[in-house]
This record gives sequence, structure tokens and C-alpha cells, in this order.
Amino acid sequence: MSLACRWAEIAWQRQPDWNISVDLTSSRLTTSDFATAQETYHANGWTDGLPIIPPTAELVSACLEWALLPPEHLVGIEPVRERSITAEKLAINAVMAGCLPEHFPLVVTAFTAMLEPKFLLHGATASTGGCAILLIVNGPIRCELEMVATFNVVGNTDRASAAVGRAIRLALINLLDVRPGEIDRSTLGHPGKFSYCVAEDEENSPWPSLAEERLGESDVSAVTAVAAMAPRQIMNEWTSNPEEICETISAEIRSNQLHYSIWSGNYVVVLPPQLRRHFIDAGWSKSDFQNCIFDRARVKRGSWNGVGKGSVVKDRADREYLAMDSPDELLVVAAGGPAGGFAQIIPPWLGTKSRATTVAVGACVDCEVP
Amino acid sequence: MELMIPSHEQQLIASEPAPRVRTLQGAVIGLISNGKENTVPFFDQVESILRTEYGVSKVVRRTKENYSAPADVELMREAMGWDAVLSGVGD
Repeated sequence: MSLACRWAEIAWQRQPDWNISVDLTSSRLTTSDFATAQETYHANGWTDGLPIIPPTAELVSACLEWALLPPEHLVGIEPVRERSITAEKLAINAVMAGCLPEHFPLVVTAFTAMLEPKFLLHGATASTGGCAILLIVNGPIRCELEMVATFNVVGNTDRASAAVGRAIRLALINLLDVRPGEIDRSTLGHPGKFSYCVAEDEENSPWPSLAEERLGESDVSAVTAVAAMAPRQIMNEWTSNPEEICETISAEIRSNQLHYSIWSGNYVVVLPPQLRRHFIDAGWSKSDFQNCIFDRARVKRGSWNGVGKGSVVKDRADREYLAMDSPDELLVVAAGGPAGGFAQIIPPWLGTKSRATTVAVGACVDCEVP
Repeated sequence: MELMIPSHEQQLIASEPAPRVRTLQGAVIGLISNGKENTVPFFDQVESILRTEYGVSKVVRRTKENYSAPADVELMREAMGWDAVLSGVGD
């Protein structure tokens, strides 16, 4: 991050001082060496096609100990398939993805968010639409994990972002059978299905962070999960007028409404410093930005006539469709490298079928501290 | 090297298929659409066939609230009163 995280100096001095009893119950197998382990895990359909870290009991226990979670801790139940998601199984998949123990609380938090009913995890992971699960990380934990919110932020950035995002996919594959052609019926999918985890550049934005806006508290470590399509990038380096930049972003959302899905939902806008600066210099608040997009991101059904979808316009050509039902449904994330007049919109999977969910790290609604 | 198995190891819940319908003559058949647009002409045709060729007494047409989620409890309860159900997608 271009400004130092305020918490960086306290980062990894912390070690768990609470020795919990780790009594793992998952079945085990024995392999002769690292290479054989890879082949065994691939052959069983337990990977995403990339090599994995062999999950030994020692590594799995370390994750659980760090998060202070007993193996049997029930993170949640996926209701459609009645699958229990336990901390132990999540930890095994996190280790395979390359997570260090300190990454594991983010994995647990992400799954907690994904298992909220309004997220509709089964639909989001089974749909032909082919969305991935985007995680947006806020708060001090970004700094503790040295997550990068600047250069290449939506691509490959840092170890924690890559491993946590990948852990989600491996857990979906192994715990809910979300394999292509099985539960995952995606026609196309997109590269975010390997890993799709972004930290917000809170230190370089005067606007409230996404988590602060959604949870009402500052300096809280939190994960927001979004059933999200691939990013769509815009460019406007030829104006400093915020209204004009807002229009470019809105036009891309309108395009998505016409070319993909017309329904309203949680659109994400990733706004890097160069364009962000124009809004801030003009005195715009985050709400001003959201209101501007909300006002402009809307289309009439009749516009489908111009993109080859005239057959479904029917007698509703003048009906207007908003991209969001309210301005606060737009999820604004300050992130990206310092140079370049770019931004990205990340469309929702399918309207409001799935709602973005935000959960604080460490928040445990109905569990007991071990 | 001893390694942990990453997949779910939950025991499957034992269940049996519902009793088969012996005849459609005079039966009450439910058609549950997932709500997608193309289910309408598809189930129109299915309903027509059921009525004209198989002599069902009644066809009940229902639509799920959310096509990516299971049918809600009230709809499932109502379905208990039908002889058989057809559920389909319209993509």
C-alpha cells in the first residue's frame, strides 16, 4: 500500500497463546512423496487443476489453533444440499490452497458470509451464469496479512489474497461438489473462479471503506462476499470532470444491463487513485458518487432492440430498469495502482437473486469460544 | 506422508423415491416452473398433452419465487396434495 498500514508494526508478533485441543476426525491417506500426493489429489477431483500443498494434520491443526476454532466448529450449513461446513474441513482446503495459519480467519469469515441465506450459495455456485465469489477485505487484517490494494489489485497481487481466494474455490469443490459439470453448471465461468479476493486501499481514500459503510463501524476487519461476474474495465483519461467520469462508468453498467442481465443488483465499482482523485478534489462524498451512478445506470427495455434482443421487448419497451434498487447497493471499492485513468465494474451474477454479505472477522453469532 | 482428505464425509440421508403413479387417468398433476420465460410455452405443451392424451383431471401450474432456490415450504406443502409433480427449467 502506498501509505503505510497503521497496524503494520504490530503485524505478526501475535501468536496464539491459547492451546486448544485439536482432535481431527477427517479420514487420512498415506502417500509416499510430494509428487504422489499431487497425483492422488488430482485423480480424486480434489483440486482446481493446480498443484496443492499436501494437507498434513500438523498444518491443518495450525490453522485451527490460529483461529481458536475446534475442528468440529460448525461454520454453517448449506441448506439446499444439507451439507455441514466445519472448521476442520475448511482448514484442510485452506492449507491445500496455500494459506498460512494467519490467513485462515479470512477463509472462515468468507464462508460465514457466503452461508447467509440471502447470498444463496447453491444458486450462485450452480448457475449456468458462471459467476465466481468475489471477496473484498477491509480493516486491520489487510495490513497484518500484507495484502496489496494497489498495483494489479484485481489480478495476482499478494500471497494472502491469492491463497484465501483459492481456498474458497477448493472448499466449494470438495465440500459442496462444485466441480464443472457436477454442481457447477457454468456455461463459461471466468478466471476469478481460481481466486477473486481484493483488499481495499483504505489508507489512500478519505471515503468510508466498504465494511465501514455496511457495518457502521470503522477499523473493523471484515469480508464482503459478492456473487460476481468478470470485471469490465473502463478508461477515461481525458477529463477531470466527475460527472463525465461517472457517465463513463454508468455507461459500462448500462452496457452490462443490455448485453448480459437487465436486473438490478450489487454492482461493484473498483475505483483507482487517478480517477478517484477527481471526485475527491471536486468535494464529492462517497454518497455523491453512488447517487450519480444510481441516477445514470438505468436502461429502458426497448434498448434491447439495438442489441439483438428485440424478441423479448414485447409491449414493455418503455419500462425502465435500474441497475440498483438504491444508491447504497453500489459497492464502491477504493483500490488500484497509482497511475491510469481506469476503473472496473464488476457486475452481479444475476440481479438480486444473491445479495452481497459482509461479516466481521471473528464475529461469531451462535458459537462458544473454545 | 499422512494427509487429510478434503472432501465432505457426511453420511447421506437415507431416502426413498415416492410411490410411482399407476395411471394418469383422473390424476392431479402439478407443474412447477422455475420462473424462467421459456417454461411457459414448454409447460403449455406439457399440460395440453396431459389433458388430451392421458386424461388427467386437473393440472396445477405453480412458479417458484426464485429459480435458483428450492421451492418454498408452502409450495411443497401444497404439492403433497397432488398425485405427481413435474418440475422443469426453461433455459
